[in-house]
Amino acid sequence: MLQASSDELEEFETDSESQTRPVIETRGLTKRFGTVTALDHIDLTIRAGEFVSVMGPSGSGKTTFLNLISCLDTPTEGSYLLDGIDVSTFTEKERAVMRRERIGLVFQQFHLIPYLNAQENVMLAQHYHSVVDAEGATRALERVGLADRAHHLPSQLSGGEQQRVCIARALINEPSLILADEPTGNLDAKNEHLVMELFSELHREGRVIVLITHNPELGRRTDRTIWFEHGRRVRRASEAA
Amino acid sequence: MAAADRPTTVARRGGMGARLLWRALLVRRSRVLAAVTAIAVGAAVIAALASLYFDISAKMSRELRAYGANFIVAPASAEGDKTFSEATYRKLIAELPADRLVGASPFLYGVARIGEREAVIAGLDFAGAQKISPYWQVEGNWIGVDFDERRCMLGERLAESLGLHPGDKIEVSNDDGSFTTELTVRGIVETGEAEDDQILVNRSLAQKLLGMPNVVNLAMLSIQAEGEDADRLASTVEADFPGLDIRPIRQVSQSDGELLDKIKVLMAFVAGIILVITAVCVNSTLTAMIVERRREIGLQKALGADDSAIMRQFLIETVTLSLIGVAVGLVIGFGLAQLLGQAVFSTAISFRAIVVPATLAISLIAALAAAIVPIRRAIRIVPAQVLKGE
Repeated sequence: MLQASSDELEEFETDSESQTRPVIETRGLTKRFGTVTALDHIDLTIRAGEFVSVMGPSGSGKTTFLNLISCLDTPTEGSYLLDGIDVSTFTEKERAVMRRERIGLVFQQFHLIPYLNAQENVMLAQHYHSVVDAEGATRALERVGLADRAHHLPSQLSGGEQQRVCIARALINEPSLILADEPTGNLDAKNEHLVMELFSELHREGRVIVLITHNPELGRRTDRTIWFEHGRRVRRASEAA
Repeated sequence: MAAADRPTTVARRGGMGARLLWRALLVRRSRVLAAVTAIAVGAAVIAALASLYFDISAKMSRELRAYGANFIVAPASAEGDKTFSEATYRKLIAELPADRLVGASPFLYGVARIGEREAVIAGLDFAGAQKISPYWQVEGNWIGVDFDERRCMLGERLAESLGLHPGDKIEVSNDDGSFTTELTVRGIVETGEAEDDQILVNRSLAQKLLGMPNVVNLAMLSIQAEGEDADRLASTVEADFPGLDIRPIRQVSQSDGELLDKIKVLMAFVAGIILVITAVCVNSTLTAMIVERRREIGLQKALGADDSAIMRQFLIETVTLSLIGVAVGLVIGFGLAQLLGQAVFSTAISFRAIVVPATLAISLIAALAAAIVPIRRAIRIVPAQVLKGE
């Protein structure tokens, strides 16, 4: 493993990334909780069409990074540009607008509302975005292979199916960025494969996907892997390959 | 597909919000029931007390009037003839507002003999006297009709000194023994006042026995009127009867008003305590509901709900619970008001439309005040914390 300076990483990204439009750009992105620095001056660019995995051991700052780029949290220092808009100084209300307009979130725990059926769970994302459209929600469920489960409650769905509902919900508002936090962490191998296939398909359609995972196998299925350790971005020998 | 082709599939945001609200409440039936019950109990007490409050002046004034006469009528002149005619009395009664007149009786006083013993005899109208003196404690029975000349009532001290009981017969005669009659003691009356030493007989019998036909000494009236209103009424009537002195018995009227005020304060105090209890119940139930829904709220925020959307959602939930609770409470409250009305005032309480908005407003204020802290708690939920993967 190699520790990398910002300049080296920038050079590495320039080499390895295509010169498409940046969707995520962070400069000196830092998050401190009291005296603990969870994320330390992260410089990073993720461009349109990229499928990127973020890996690292527990406590390395992956989730903090995800919270910042998903506009769920604000940085202590540094800047974060989403689609060219500096959101690092946004208020909670403005960040809520960014979340509903530009970001689709996929969680390890699925986080479906237990008393709403699959279709209604997808419609919930529309509810905060614009107009609730049952047909659009059904199409999103078709997309993830769950058209026939639209009226099932989460408790009537398997873990894999619940995660696919979660992906349909993330897709429904056509976000520019899909962020997935350990999306296969609670799934068996078969469902893990199904979900990763879905992500690959979405990637082929040109969506930006950032996948946080512990699993190196999943990391290998992405365009590139960004490694974190002790809140800092590090370069591994395998990254250059 | 054109939007016009699928009108039923596109719902307004309010539709999804209503679905979310309905399901969220339905899935927490026991908590919803607890909150609605708390609000309903509070609303019922408010509605019952408000019904009594708005009805109370009339009802309580009527009831308090039952505790004694508040007007005395006597001849105007302090000297000379201390009587006035029965016809004048009847004319006076006819002139008084019938809907405010609780009861009235003329009184004629003189001295009579029971055997060798002298005693004050009072002639009165028993039916009217019963209405203006319901606090009299009677052993045996009241005399029910005004033409009964064969029975009497005795004051408690007089009866005791003579060793008489209800059912005993006594011989009553006038001072010179020219008129004698045998009377059956119908009841022994205890008033704590002068009547305890008197023989009470019908006015007509007293007039015969005392040789004073068609006259009375004074009249006692019980009328629903207090303070300046009573003064005005006395002046108005007195103007039509120059030979009479009509005076409100001031201390009785004022104490009526004070008692009324005290009862109103007591009602407000009880309502206040009930409201505080209701608010505490609603607060704890809403807090529990919000703690249970931390992840849901976090998810809603992660999906783009801002603080105002979360606040709106819980305000609507609180108002919905309040409306259900108030609707139930109003029905129970009106029933409770009837029970209280019958138990305390022996009368039905009229439905007054103002009770509905008053109960609704007071209950809503209490419920919304109780919801402030839980809603602030919901707004402060940090999605990044509650949605953390395990």
